[in-house]
Amino acid sequence: MAGVTIENVRKSYGAVEVLRGVDVQVENSEFVALVGPSGCGKSTLLRMIAGLEGISSGEIGIGGRVVNNVPPKQRDVAMVFQSYALYPHMTVAKNMGFSLKLAGLPADEIAQRVSRAAEILDLRPLLDRLPKQLSGGQRQRVAMGRAIVRDPQVFLFDEPLSNLDAKLRVSMRAEIKALHQRLKTTTVYVTHDQVEAMTMADKIVVMRDGLVEQQGSPLELYDRPRNMFVAGFIGSPSMNFIGGTIKKRRFVSGNGLLGHDTDISPMAGDGAVILGVRPEHLSIDTSGIEATVLVVEQTGSETTVLLDAGGTRMTLLARERLTTVPGETVRIAPDYSRLHFFDPASGLRLGGDSDVDEPGPSDTKGNTSMAPARRTSLKNGRTGPRKKLSQALEAIGIRQDRYRPELYYMRGPGPKTHAKSVGADSP
Amino acid sequence: MNGRTRSPVPLHIVLAICAAIVIAPIVWTVAAGFRTQISLLMGEVLFTPVWSNFSEVLWSKTSDFLLNYRNSIIVGVLSTILCVVVATLCAFSLNRLRWPSWVAHIFLAWTMIFHMIPPVALASAWFSMARTVGLENTFTGLILAHATLNLPMAIWLMAVFVREVPKELEEAAIMDGASTPRVLWHVILPLITPGVAATSILTFIFSWNEFAVALTLTMKQTATVPVAIAKFAQDFEIQYTQMAASAALAMLPALIVLLVAQRYIVKGLTQGAVK
Repeated sequence: MAGVTIENVRKSYGAVEVLRGVDVQVENSEFVALVGPSGCGKSTLLRMIAGLEGISSGEIGIGGRVVNNVPPKQRDVAMVFQSYALYPHMTVAKNMGFSLKLAGLPADEIAQRVSRAAEILDLRPLLDRLPKQLSGGQRQRVAMGRAIVRDPQVFLFDEPLSNLDAKLRVSMRAEIKALHQRLKTTTVYVTHDQVEAMTMADKIVVMRDGLVEQQGSPLELYDRPRNMFVAGFIGSPSMNFIGGTIKKRRFVSGNGLLGHDTDISPMAGDGAVILGVRPEHLSIDTSGIEATVLVVEQTGSETTVLLDAGGTRMTLLARERLTTVPGETVRIAPDYSRLHFFDPASGLRLGGDSDVDEPGPSDTKGNTSMAPARRTSLKNGRTGPRKKLSQALEAIGIRQDRYRPELYYMRGPGPKTHAKSVGADSP
Repeated sequence: MNGRTRSPVPLHIVLAICAAIVIAPIVWTVAAGFRTQISLLMGEVLFTPVWSNFSEVLWSKTSDFLLNYRNSIIVGVLSTILCVVVATLCAFSLNRLRWPSWVAHIFLAWTMIFHMIPPVALASAWFSMARTVGLENTFTGLILAHATLNLPMAIWLMAVFVREVPKELEEAAIMDGASTPRVLWHVILPLITPGVAATSILTFIFSWNEFAVALTLTMKQTATVPVAIAKFAQDFEIQYTQMAASAALAMLPALIVLLVAQRYIVKGLTQGAVK
């Protein structure tokens, strides 16, 4: 087993730069998840570790050895593909033993190692079947079996669960995690599903546009997202963002007050900020602000409520069953100890227990991982908190469409004041 | 819905006409092989079948037909093997070895152009080339010529089959430690067997049928079946019935191959088309 070192790695196809300087350190026997929206370069990075893609610049090391120019078969890594890539003309046993056969191992040792792997993965009865005779979950296990018979230094997983149905995905998730705990092989796991990353990984690397936005333990990312992108990406349903300003150490949102008299300001001076509240940290509270219920989603164990709070769409996640109905007006309040503030210009986290630099509200120099292009686009045209919010949201890939609350009301038009304020407020 | 429930009879009539158009000449040729020259030329509808044409063609001392038959089989089999091996390697290389795209495109375009040139146009060129290197009137010369003539089609077909193999399979094999030849041998080839079979059959049939180049490059000892059949039309006499009998015999290998490998051809040719 070995760690993987990725140092300032870049990858470009012609003029298109897919990876723009990535640094990741994977410790020995660590489970690292690379997450990010599609096209962020996570799969490319994985394929570069595997040796299936060349490295434009930078260095990738496995077990302390730089492998930039080492062909895949000498890297001692095994990869599980999204499509499983089982050889259709070989039985399960032959699929699993193929790498050993290529390595020139004697037949009895191949059989022994295959049967040991089959034991671990519960594939014993299937060894003589062809891949087409297997179900999706079984194929997935064979693909993993093919990786583990080799006893490699590093496992690479490329979105291995995305072809499975939801239920199977959850159980395979647990199986992969159990397998890792048992074998303790260093693992790099690519997924676009943040839930998968949160549940399985020791460390999550959030990527976007070929850059690492933040890396850390799942809870670190959840509790202290370094910027709005990570804040919005990690956690489901995703975080609510409310544009506003800090005035006299109190937060004033674009259309009313969300906050209370205590000092919640993360910084000394006044200025524009974006407040982030996770849906699970909002609750129905008579001391809070008014909001209109748009949609109620019951899952049995919890309730998700989509709300219109003074023109801002917000999601509330309650662990208990709520009896609210669409059109109703409720009062909501956040858990004040778990608020996040972001600079609308840079999208960076402000103050609090952040472990990153703490730039002022308009300071954009603090973060090196932000793309210059993105930074300038955020700088331009600051006209008001509302506009800044939508710009900042757009920069992280969330489009806040002008929505029409009346579409959500199941019965009755709802409080007129709110509908009006939305219309009047929209830029 | 009306269209679906309509009677199938008109459709079957159309199909029967099409089938008749295809089959009629074959039936006529085979039938002509069993007639006497006089019966054929008089246009008798009903006739008493005779074996004389076949026995003449096969066993007569003046006939080289069995030799021609052997020649055709030698040339057909060897040129097919050569052609398909080269085409498979070429298709694999073009598709998977990361050539700059212009190389692959120019190459494929050139093979296409070469394929569109009628073989007759190059027959004399073939002859002078073969003669220069001393390969006229040899099997080697004709085998090389047939392999070359059929390569474009074979490359195009094999390229489609190779492209159909998911790239992940190849990558999985690379991760499993396979070198390029082993990827080809252990993973790609087993998966494109139907394609290889289909391409081989087509190549063999084309070689079997090829006339112009075979005529230029062969003489009496090396002549292939099409050349031999043409020789029945002499200046003073056209031996229609013997010609027909030889033609009927010439159909046999292709027919047998097609019956045996029909499954592969259909599978192979539609594999590329559907997806």
